[in-house]
Amino acid sequence: MTQDAMALPTTRSGLRWRELYWLVNLRLAIGLTIVLILAVGSLVLPLFNTVDPSVQASYWKNLPPSFKHLLGTNALGQDTFWYLVYSVRNSLVLGFVVAIGVTVISTIVGLSAGYIGGSFERVVMLVVDTFITIPLLPILIILGAVIRGSSTFLTVGLVIIIFGWAWGARTVRSMALTLREREFINMARFSGANTLQILVSEIFPYVSAFLLVGFINTVLFAINTEATLAVIGLSKVEVPTLGSIIFWALSYNAMFTGNYIWIVAPIVTTVVLFLGLFLTSTGFNAAFATKRGVA
Amino acid sequence: MVKLSRYLMVPMLGVLMGTTSFAQEMTDVGTPRSETLIVQTFDGKVATPDAQNPFISYAIWRGFRELGWSSLWEMDTASGQSYPELADGMPEVLNAEHTKFRIKIRPGVFWSDGVEFTTADMAYTLDTAFKYREKLTRVSGYTSIVKSWTVIDPYTMEVETSEPSYSFETSMGVYTWGARFVPVPKHIFEPQGENVVTFKNAPAVTLGPYKIKAFDPNGFWQLWERREDWQRSGWGNLGEPKAKYVLYKDFGAEETRTLAFVQNQYDIDTFMSPDSIQAAKARNPNIQTFSDRFPYHDMNDACSWAVYMNQQKAPYDLEAVRWALALSLDLKQVGITALSGQFKVAALPIADTPVTNPIYYEASAQFLNDLTLADGYKPYDPNFGADLVAALKAQGAPESELPTAENIAASFGGGWWKHDPAQAEKLLASVGMTKGADGFFTMPDGSPWVVTLTTPGDWNKNLQRLGFSIADSWKKAGFNVSVQQVDNGEFGSTQSTNSKLDVMLNWGNTCVYNANWRNSWGVFKSDNVKDATSDEPLNGNWMRVTDQGIFDIVTKSASLPTGSAENIANGNAIAQKLTATMQAINLMSIPTTVPTNSTYWTNYSKQDNFYAAPYTWWSSFKKTLVNITPTGK
Amino acid sequence: MGIVQYVAKRLGLFLAVLFIGLTITFFLPRLMPVNPIDGYISQLMSLSSGSLSSEAVAELRVNLEELYGLKGDLLSQYVSYLERVLLRFDFGPSFAYYPATVSDVVLNALPWTLALLLTTTVLGWALGNMVGLVAGYFHTKRLATLLEIVGILIYPIPYYILAVSVILLFAYVFPVFPLSATFPVGEMSLNKLGLILYNAFLPALALVLAGFGWNILSMKALAIATTEEPYVTYARLKGASNWTRMTRYVFRNAMLPQVTALALSIGTIFNGALLTEIIFSYPGVGLIMRTAATGGDYNVLYGVITISIIAVATAGLIIDLIYPLLDPRIRHK
Repeated sequence: MTQDAMALPTTRSGLRWRELYWLVNLRLAIGLTIVLILAVGSLVLPLFNTVDPSVQASYWKNLPPSFKHLLGTNALGQDTFWYLVYSVRNSLVLGFVVAIGVTVISTIVGLSAGYIGGSFERVVMLVVDTFITIPLLPILIILGAVIRGSSTFLTVGLVIIIFGWAWGARTVRSMALTLREREFINMARFSGANTLQILVSEIFPYVSAFLLVGFINTVLFAINTEATLAVIGLSKVEVPTLGSIIFWALSYNAMFTGNYIWIVAPIVTTVVLFLGLFLTSTGFNAAFATKRGVA
Repeated sequence: MVKLSRYLMVPMLGVLMGTTSFAQEMTDVGTPRSETLIVQTFDGKVATPDAQNPFISYAIWRGFRELGWSSLWEMDTASGQSYPELADGMPEVLNAEHTKFRIKIRPGVFWSDGVEFTTADMAYTLDTAFKYREKLTRVSGYTSIVKSWTVIDPYTMEVETSEPSYSFETSMGVYTWGARFVPVPKHIFEPQGENVVTFKNAPAVTLGPYKIKAFDPNGFWQLWERREDWQRSGWGNLGEPKAKYVLYKDFGAEETRTLAFVQNQYDIDTFMSPDSIQAAKARNPNIQTFSDRFPYHDMNDACSWAVYMNQQKAPYDLEAVRWALALSLDLKQVGITALSGQFKVAALPIADTPVTNPIYYEASAQFLNDLTLADGYKPYDPNFGADLVAALKAQGAPESELPTAENIAASFGGGWWKHDPAQAEKLLASVGMTKGADGFFTMPDGSPWVVTLTTPGDWNKNLQRLGFSIADSWKKAGFNVSVQQVDNGEFGSTQSTNSKLDVMLNWGNTCVYNANWRNSWGVFKSDNVKDATSDEPLNGNWMRVTDQGIFDIVTKSASLPTGSAENIANGNAIAQKLTATMQAINLMSIPTTVPTNSTYWTNYSKQDNFYAAPYTWWSSFKKTLVNITPTGK
Repeated sequence: MGIVQYVAKRLGLFLAVLFIGLTITFFLPRLMPVNPIDGYISQLMSLSSGSLSSEAVAELRVNLEELYGLKGDLLSQYVSYLERVLLRFDFGPSFAYYPATVSDVVLNALPWTLALLLTTTVLGWALGNMVGLVAGYFHTKRLATLLEIVGILIYPIPYYILAVSVILLFAYVFPVFPLSATFPVGEMSLNKLGLILYNAFLPALALVLAGFGWNILSMKALAIATTEEPYVTYARLKGASNWTRMTRYVFRNAMLPQVTALALSIGTIFNGALLTEIIFSYPGVGLIMRTAATGGDYNVLYGVITISIIAVATAGLIIDLIYPLLDPRIRHK
C-alpha cells in the first residue's frame, strides 16, 4: 500500500489545519469511510423508520428478502435489516463508551505508575493487579442478575469497564517502564521539562500507536463480551445489539432451519465494522510514523 | 480467504445438510448400534455421575427412575391410574381413619446381583431414613408422613401414617415424576454402617430389568444393559424390554443436537424446539413427531404452563389488574411466534387432557361460558381454536395437517380468553391506573409501573421463547415489561420468595392431572402464606393464593376419598374460584416436543399407534421399551 | 535497590493481591440472588409436585444449612472461610454436587481444562506472533497486508459463531470429527490417548483460531513500532541481514509486552473455557463454574475463582521477577 504522506514540519505552537494533511493516506481514507458509513448510517437511518424493530410479529415469520424487507424477516416476525441497523447503533455506542472509559483510565494509571514509580507505583499496581487477577467471566455471571435487572443495557458496559481497564494499565506501565530509561526522556528531563510535559509530549506519542490498537481491541472486546453475555443469556436481549441479534438467531437455530441471512448478516457486519476501525487505526499509525520520519 | 469461504459455505451447507445417515456399526461406548437405544438425557450433563445413593442424591434421571429402581406402585400417566409394580395389589386399608395400611409385595423379585428383594430391604430403608434424618437430604418426603412400620413376613408389611391418607399408593409410590420412597438393597447398604450418609453406591445394584454397565465419570452418558434374569426384576412382569442396551447421552446444546439427530446418532430427543423439529423432519424422513397434524406433539403432560403473579404485592392484588393482564395477552400470536402454533390452550388452571377433560373441563364448561366480570363483560372465547386454525392457514400451513372442525377442541383446546386491550384499559381505569406520558400504564398513584417477568433461560427453551413473546404482547398493549431470564437456581428462589417475585412463568402448582387434585393443591394452606415483602422461603403455594375460601375447601377435603363425587366437586370449586378471580393466568399444556428417529428402532408410541405417553423419563418409557422393535440395521 | 529487597517487595505485593482477591471473591457470590438451599429445595419440591409438607421442608432447610456451613452471620462465615482456605486449602462441600467436596469436583475437571487451554493459548500466541512479526517487519509488502487481513477477518467473529462454524464444517459437512465429545473411560492407554486427542481436536482448533487473530494484529503493530527504532536502522546500516534484524533486534524488543500478555492470558484461562465447554461438551472447569453459578453453589465458585486468582497472581509475579532479566534497561532501577 502506498502512503501519500506529506511530511510537513510541526511546531510547538499548536496544530494548524494545513498541518493535518500529513494524516491522509489510503488506509485511513478507506477505514474512516467504512466507519463513518456504518456510524452515520446507523444513527440517521432510524429517523426514517416507523416500526420499532424489536417488536415481535410485526410481519410474517421467515420471509425471504424482498423490496419491503431488504434482508427478509426472522422467526420472531421482525424485519432483519432494521433490527440490524439498530443493533449496529447500539453496539457502536456501547463499544465506544467502554473503549473510551477503559483507554482513558488505563492510560492515565499505567503511564503515571510506570513513570513516577516509587510508592505511588506500588499502590497503584496493587490495585491494578487485584483487578487483573479476578477473572471477568465468572464475575459477569455472578453479577448477571444485576445486569439483567437494570434499566439500560449500558450497565454491561459499566461492568466491563470496571473489570477491564486493568489489563491495559499493566501493559502501558511496562512500556512506560522501558521508556523511562530511554535517551530522549533523559534529555527532556535535563532540559527542564516537568513530569506532565514529559508524559504528554514525549512518552504519549510513543505509546499512542499501541494505544490506538488497544482502543480498537477494546471496542471489539466490549462488543464481543456483550455478545458472549447475550449468548449465555445474561444481557438484555430485548434491546437490539449485535450480541442480541446473534442470541436470537442461535436461539431459534437459524442456521439449521435455513434462515442463513439472519445469522450471517450480523457476522459480516461485525467483520466490516472491525475492518473499518482497524484500517483507521493503522492509517493513523502509518501517518504518525511518517510524521516522525521513520517510515 | 476466510470471508470468501464463509460465503461459499452457505450454499454448500444448504445442499450438504440434506445428507442422511452413514451406517454406524458400533456405538461410541462399544455396543452394537442395532441393539442399543440411544436417548437424549432429560437434564443434560449430570454433575456427579457417581452419586447413586437414593438417600442423598437425585439419581432419578439418566435411567434410574425407569430402568434401575422400582416402586411399590407406579402411575400410568396416560390414564391417571396407579398400578402395582413391586407390590402385589393395591394397599389394604386397615382402619377407618385411613392411617394403617398393609402392603404385600410380589415374591420372586431379585436385585441385579441375585439377592431376593424382601420387606427386610424396605424396613431397612425406613429404619436408616429415620435414624439419620438430619444428615440425609432426600428422605424427608416420606419421613414426614410415615409414623411406624412392622414387618409381618418377608412379603408383607404394615405401615402407619401420621396423617390420614386417601391415596397411600401415591404417597409411598409414584405420583408423577417418581416415588419419594426408593427401597435400597440392605445387603449392600447395611455393611456401610454409619457411612451410609456419604456412601456413593456407584455402580448401583438395581431392582429393575437393567443393570448399569458403564457410566461417564464426566457425566455425559450412562449405559444400561438388560439383565439376563430380567423376568425376576422389579417390573419384569410388564414384558421383555426389547433393547439390550440403553444409552442415555447428552448431545449438547440444541445447535449441535439437531445435527446429531439428523445424522441418526440417537433415537429419541427431549424437548427440542418446534421449528428445529420441523427442519429436522424436512432433512431426514425417519424423524417423526407424535402426530402428523397440528399440534404435532403430545399435549397430555401432567402440568400446564401458567403466569403466576405475586398476589400479595401491589398492584397484582387487584383482580382488575390480573384480568387486564390476561385480556392483553394475544396468546394466538404469542403461540405462533414462540411455538410455531403447536400448542393446546387451557383456560382452567389444569392441563386439558383426556383424563382431566371429563373430570374438570366438562363439569366447568357452563361456568366458563357464563363467566362475567363486574361490568358485565364476558371474557371467555370458545372460538380460540378456530381462529388459530384460520391464522395458521393464512400463514401457509398445509390444510392436510390442520385439524378438521370437529377436532379443533381436541387439538388446540376448548377456548381461552379474548384478546381485548380496550377492555383491559377499561379495567385498569376502574382502579385508577391510566397510561402515562410515555404510553405505559402507571400505578394508581401515578408512579411508574414496571412488570418484571421472570422466565427460564436456555434450560427451558420453549418456555424462554414464550416468555419473551408474552412480554412483547403486553408491551404492545401498554405495559412496561422487563424480562428476566434466569438460571435454574434463581428460578427456584424467585418462585419461593415473596420479595423476589413479581410475575413469572411456572408450572409447579398447576399439576392436577387426575381426580387426586390434593396432591398438587394441598399446598394452599394458611401457613404457606408469608408477608408480602418477606425474604423467608415458602414451602409451596407458588401462586400466592390467600383466599380463605380455598383454604377451607382444601382442609375439609382431607378426609374425602379421592374418586368420590364430593372430592371432585371440591376440586372443580377451587378451579373455578381460581379462574373467576384470575389468580393465575393459565396458558397451555406443556408441549412435549419429543421427536423420534426410526432408523434403528420403530414402533414408538404415536397418536395413531398409542400404547404409552411418549416421554422417556416417566413410567411410560417402560411400556415403550417393551413395545419397540429393532429394524435390524 | 538490591535483588533481595526487590523480590521481597514483590512477594509482599503478591500476597496482598491474593488476600484482597480472596476477600472480594467471598463477598461477591453472596450478592447473587440465588440461595443454594432454596434452589435445592425448589428442585425437590417440583419433583414431588409440591406435595412435601411444610414440616418436611422446614426440617430439610435446617439440615442443609448445617451441612453446607451456612449457619451464622456473614462475618463468622468469612472468618471460617479464610481459615479453611488459607490453612487447609479446603473449600468445603459443594452444594450442587453434595456430598462431593469442591476439591474433588474441581480437581476432576481441572486437568481437562488446563490441558486444552494451556496448549491452545500457547499455540495461538506463538503462531500469531510469528505471523505478526513477519507482517510487521515487512509491513510495506503486499504479503503483510494479506496476513493482516486474515487476522482482521478472524478476530472479530464472535467466539460462539467460530466454534459452531468449526463444528459444522468438520463434524457435519465433512464428518471427520465427532459432533460432541465422547471421552473414553478406563485406564490410560495409547489408544485412549488417541481417542482423547481425536475428540479434543475441534475445541482446540476453535480456540487457536480465536486467539490467533488478535496476536497477529498486536504483534504487527508492535513490530512496526519497533522496526522504526533507531537501533534497527543502525543495524541495517551496519549491514545486518533482514533475518538478523528481524529476530535479534525487532523480535526481542517487541516481544516483551507480548510475553506479559501471554502470562496474564494464561491466568484468565477460565474465561475462554466456559463457552468452549458448553458448545463442545468438554468436561472441564467452565461447565462446573456454570452449574455452580446457576445453582448458587458458593463453595465451588470460591474454589474455581480462587484457583484462577492464584494462577494469574503467580503469573504476574513470575513476569515481574523475570522482566529485569529480559530488559537490562530496567534492571538497574
